[in-house]
Amino acid sequence: MEIHTRMTQRTQRTRRAERGAPVQSVIVFLISFVSFVSFVSFVFVAQPTLQAPRTGSIRGRVELRRVVSPPERRPSVADPGAPAGRDLPDLRRSIVYLESAPRGAFETNEGGRAVMDQRNETFVPHVLAITTGMTVDFPNSDKFYHNVFSLSKTQRFDLGRYAAGRSQSVRFDRPGIVRVFCDIHSHMNAFILVFSHPFYALTDDEGRYRIERVPPGTYNVVAWNEGASSDPKSVTVHDGSIAELDFSVR
Amino acid sequence: MTVWRAVASLACLGIVLMAPAAHAQILPSEPIAFGGGRVTIGADVSATYGSLDPGWFNYTDYEHSALRMLRVDVSAAVNAGAHVAVLGELRTENLGAVRPYALYARIRPWAKRNVDVNIGRVPPTFGAFARRTYANDNPLIGYPLAYQYLTSLRPDAVPASAQELLDKRSQGWRVRYTLGDQAADRGVPLVSAFRFDTGVQIHAENDLVRATAAVTTGTVANPLFHDDNGGRQIAARMELRPVAGLILGASGARGPFVGATAARGAVGDGHDREFTQSAYGGDVEYSRGYYLLRYETIVSDWRLPIVRPPVLDLPLRAVSTSVEGRYKIAPGVYAAARVDHLGFSEITAAQGTLPWEAPVTRVEVGSGFSIQHNLLLKLSVQRNIRDGGRLTPRDTLFAGQLAFWF
Repeated sequence: MEIHTRMTQRTQRTRRAERGAPVQSVIVFLISFVSFVSFVSFVFVAQPTLQAPRTGSIRGRVELRRVVSPPERRPSVADPGAPAGRDLPDLRRSIVYLESAPRGAFETNEGGRAVMDQRNETFVPHVLAITTGMTVDFPNSDKFYHNVFSLSKTQRFDLGRYAAGRSQSVRFDRPGIVRVFCDIHSHMNAFILVFSHPFYALTDDEGRYRIERVPPGTYNVVAWNEGASSDPKSVTVHDGSIAELDFSVR
Repeated sequence: MTVWRAVASLACLGIVLMAPAAHAQILPSEPIAFGGGRVTIGADVSATYGSLDPGWFNYTDYEHSALRMLRVDVSAAVNAGAHVAVLGELRTENLGAVRPYALYARIRPWAKRNVDVNIGRVPPTFGAFARRTYANDNPLIGYPLAYQYLTSLRPDAVPASAQELLDKRSQGWRVRYTLGDQAADRGVPLVSAFRFDTGVQIHAENDLVRATAAVTTGTVANPLFHDDNGGRQIAARMELRPVAGLILGASGARGPFVGATAARGAVGDGHDREFTQSAYGGDVEYSRGYYLLRYETIVSDWRLPIVRPPVLDLPLRAVSTSVEGRYKIAPGVYAAARVDHLGFSEITAAQGTLPWEAPVTRVEVGSGFSIQHNLLLKLSVQRNIRDGGRLTPRDTLFAGQLAFWF
């Protein structure tokens, strides 16, 4: 009886096993298939990420070997009162940029906004670097009118006179240098440098700069300050490395 | 023109033209600065060429028409600390004599208060246009009649009778009278835009109000460096700026006009200060977006020593009205127009009852094209109509002007 019972149990397990074999096969097959597909996907889809070129950086310092002073007011001989005080623009800032850069995946024309304020009869910042497609807002933070305009070949515009708290904007679609003025206050001027690529950097107070995410390659790099440019310097950027490049602008 | 005048004029031009070399660019765009900004030099150059003006509508004196003029202004400011500055301006027209247009000390007694005292050949107190006579501030080529058109009145010579005055109508460019200096010379405009007066001026301002008062040697029609009658002019102006873009101005001035020699020739000693010019003015400026609108009216009364019958109904009054507009059509391009009228009170003489000077109306339209931000080409056409006088009653005049400043 006991044996019969054991046999019966074994027979039942055997029968259950015989009935479950196809299910297991399906499961194994599915797991294998999913694993295979995942592997293939990993190999063929993720492979470009693994093989994407790593980027490098260019850094250095710009030395200004010339004395640039802020534009003075015109002598106000016909005005009975002395002009009010004003802020002075920061002329130490330079822009360092790649003369030419790889196009395609690294080119950004996705828009975005930047601000050039008009504050205490000064454009702030005095130098603005943007990429094509960006829009620059020109708010008026003074109590009186300003009239921003530019006659640059890159972009001609005239925003008219508008009062404190108001802002006007301009979209820049062509690369180049845009000189900006105020039609009412002749001592107010600023620069907007429009690039077709993102490989540029603004120097800090000490003239240091760093251009990030530069694809490996050899480039000509230029430093610009207040309308004067350095001679182009060639630099090679390697994967994950930092290239050092100093400039002097005369 | 003497050799020295020519040399001085060329030196003046030289400053303007040599400045570019210092900055290694074609034309300078900013004032030249020395001594860490303590000394600044700027310049305005305008070259105008236009139609002949046989009616003398645009003459600023016998030799110079505003439509055919090369004008060079070199101005300088020397800042000697927070309290004192010295400002001056040299001007030459058609490479003639170089004249000190302005030279004064500006004293700021309290460094943190907007109060200035000017001493010397000081800026104009009266009127709105007198402070913006530079080519880049004037949207058209012609000047408003009140500031340029030469009436037949002279400070150094006076008509003996109303009849003599009526005989001289429209001859302000070169007029001669029997009393005083008997040589022919130019008359005066209502307000001179071409000379600064000499004296002391005080100016105070805040965000809302600007007030200016001055005691000077000449009058608004005849600013002087050397006094000619022992009298002083008192002038004042107040500007309100209630909102951005709106300026409301009112001006007044009164002072002895007729020179001592002419007054003595007419009525003897002791009356030098009785023959005055009194002027009142109101002006409005409003700008917004691409529009700029200006309105100015000036009333000027002169009292002259008329000694022979027929007696004049004094004072002689002149009223000017000027409306000006500018609209920016595109970046660097604008259109502008001005309508001007000069009217005069009537007097009675053998010729009948007539305005003592021939009324003039001018309509000028023009356009400006910015070649660079401080280089402007202007073109304009003006129609002048004069009601009376001996000269051409109507003239349509064309002109072009190239204006450069830094």
